[in-house]
Amino acid sequence: MNRIISVAAGLALACGALAGPLAAQDYPSKPVTLIVPFPPGGASDTIGRVTSQTMQPGFGESIVVENKPGANGALGAASVARSAPDGYTLIAASIGTFGINPALRSDLEYDPRKDLEMLTIAVRTPNALVTRPGLGAKTVEELVAKLKAEPDTLTFASSGTGSSDHLTAELFWQVSETTGIHVPYKGGGPAQTDIMGGHADVSFQNLGNIANYVREGKMELLAITADERSPDFPDIPTMKELGYDGLEVYSWQAFAAPKGLPPEVKAKLSEGLTSALKTPAVTEQFAKMGFTVVANDPAAADAFVADEIGRWSKVIKDGNIQPEQ
Amino acid sequence: MELISNLGLGFATAFSFWNLAYCLIGVFLGTAIGVLPGLGPVATIAMLLPVTFGLSPETAMIMLAGIFYGAQYGGSTTAILVNLPGESSSVVTALDGYQMARQGHAGKALATAAIGSFIAGTIATVVIAFIAPALSNIALAFGPREYFSLMVLGLVASVVLASGSLLHAIGMIVLGLLLGLIGTDVNSGTLRYTFGRFELADGISFVVVAMGMFGIGEILVNLENETTRTMLSRKVEGLMPTRADLRRIMAPVARGTTIGSVLGILPGGGAMLASFAAYALEKKVSRQPERFGHGAIEGVAGPESANNAAAQTSFIPMLTLGIPSNPTMALMIGALIMQGIQPGPSVISEQPALFWGLIVSMWIGNVMLLVLNLPLIGLWVRMIGIPYHFLYPCIVFFCVIGVFSINNATFDIWLMALFGVAGYVLRKLDCEPAPLLLGFVLGPMLEEHLRRAMLISKGDPTGFFTSPISAGLLFVAAALLISILLPAIRNKREEAFQEEE
Repeated sequence: MNRIISVAAGLALACGALAGPLAAQDYPSKPVTLIVPFPPGGASDTIGRVTSQTMQPGFGESIVVENKPGANGALGAASVARSAPDGYTLIAASIGTFGINPALRSDLEYDPRKDLEMLTIAVRTPNALVTRPGLGAKTVEELVAKLKAEPDTLTFASSGTGSSDHLTAELFWQVSETTGIHVPYKGGGPAQTDIMGGHADVSFQNLGNIANYVREGKMELLAITADERSPDFPDIPTMKELGYDGLEVYSWQAFAAPKGLPPEVKAKLSEGLTSALKTPAVTEQFAKMGFTVVANDPAAADAFVADEIGRWSKVIKDGNIQPEQ
Repeated sequence: MELISNLGLGFATAFSFWNLAYCLIGVFLGTAIGVLPGLGPVATIAMLLPVTFGLSPETAMIMLAGIFYGAQYGGSTTAILVNLPGESSSVVTALDGYQMARQGHAGKALATAAIGSFIAGTIATVVIAFIAPALSNIALAFGPREYFSLMVLGLVASVVLASGSLLHAIGMIVLGLLLGLIGTDVNSGTLRYTFGRFELADGISFVVVAMGMFGIGEILVNLENETTRTMLSRKVEGLMPTRADLRRIMAPVARGTTIGSVLGILPGGGAMLASFAAYALEKKVSRQPERFGHGAIEGVAGPESANNAAAQTSFIPMLTLGIPSNPTMALMIGALIMQGIQPGPSVISEQPALFWGLIVSMWIGNVMLLVLNLPLIGLWVRMIGIPYHFLYPCIVFFCVIGVFSINNATFDIWLMALFGVAGYVLRKLDCEPAPLLLGFVLGPMLEEHLRRAMLISKGDPTGFFTSPISAGLLFVAAALLISILLPAIRNKREEAFQEEE
């Protein structure tokens, strides 16, 4: 009896597997797995969960978030790159996974341009140039003057080697022709704590994460790396206004799938994700975290990611910060 | 006077029906996930985050905090019963707690942990209420130099943890340090000792090592030994501590609470040091240090109190500065931000109901935990009376699920099996796993803070001695080291150990 049941179950599974790829127009006909290559609770995880939950009712099938952390998103991204392009395995990850890792490491097991296709850039947030209280540089001009007067003395805290804020600091040095000491931390939190405690001097942190510290006077905000001023800090200039070209830097989160999705499936996913992202409740929730919703189409997202990889490759090469492998 | 009106507001908030209900849900869930090895508060809170959007900020925080300290509480249950520490703080609880359980005192060990935690939690709550704002700046005073010196002290203290040979203990610490080096180098981003496997890029998870070395290793040892296969001696003595026991644990609870309350305030790993700093202290002040590692009730009472006190005071940097002390706190900050509240110094003045309500709810939660857990002790003790050939497959089963659930990676299960075998072999060689685990946890932090401090000082090491906090910690570490290494003391240790054998 048991054997009959297991044979029947096996056959049913096999039929299901065969039926899968044939039925792009029936998509979705089973739950979709959304891989988040970071631990629960980070930005990618929250963006992935909130967006997929909002999308679910109209989508017709459940979307299950699975956290597969490791190697700054490289493990999870590699597993998605190896999955079938049938729309049942997706990934939600960050600038690090899609835009910086491929520029930083030559031994990656995935290439976002060859193995993945972008569905949409979900959200973005600019970086903020902050200093410890009492550093004695109230403006970017004064900071640059100080860096030029005492080369290689001020410490720049970052959330890790090869992180978006590390590369922003590197780019800032290149553009302003200055130098400093890079001090990497394990994540943004400890880096921010050491800025507040006065143990490190300067940092580029996501604006949303440090806004409150600035209001409380625990850090000083000199500029932001956005296209335009932030409504929260209308007095704070952008780097662009100050004449530092090429310093518009955003940290972003995006959705992607394995390369080769059937067009109907891709259209359905991109439509579902972007309309979920544009829901007022979702936009508002992300705004509280400091994120602006982008929700562009797949072609624009692909082009943007290719641009980012190119841009960071150059910064990494010019700054000579490739890790030994 | 202001304090009384503040606490009044706190009680009014915490005693509302829904807040009490969610507090209960939180501590119950926390206990459950704490008891199950592997599944931790971080994953649980991440999954519950969307649920909290619909609640008021006070209610959400009360529930999430309940999960956090409930899990600390539940974790010690598994450590005592089946020698499975799910996080670094319960490693030391397993040392003497499991020995007590083997000798038939499981009930007493569990009750000691419960009572110690309750007292510590109560005192720490009062500490937060009175001096939280004043304490907040201590967190900022600790930079890389100070943390480095704290870790040095921690490593020296971990030698005290071993109950056997000093040389073996040092060997195990060094082995732990080496294992801790696996992964990505923070400064350069270079992968070290990963053998080309990206699974090792973030290092080996603590839970994998702890479950392998303690849990699986223990099972292998038990299975080998046919005669002592029933894990516990048959006689199970009194479930509750006697009056004499209670008298004996009072001082350790008080000392543990003090250490825990102070270390908990430091966001860069202070809370983690609390439980074994307390253990090391108990062993140092004890008149019979040789009993430690063989079922000393003080070895359960001190660390458990310290652990719980630190769990409570680790809320101070979050509530007063918006700095998370650990990943669970980072999630809670995320929950607050989603509610439109930016954690920081203004929370106390702008959200008094949230701040004081949360503090009072912690105390209520501790009462609930005590009421919830004391009656369960009888049940737990009966559970480990189950014949071992039924019990051990269950333990292995839960270990495998627990380890898998951390990263959703089968690689971790193989790694745990490997550490299980290693744990068995090391036990055969009379090498204890606890010092290894501490080396494993502290080593990478020591390296990280040392290199960061040297980067910031541009290679000048004098800062370690000119910062008063750092110099003080190094002085204590040196004094402790001398007291350990003085040959007279070492001889005494070994004599005592041989008598026991």
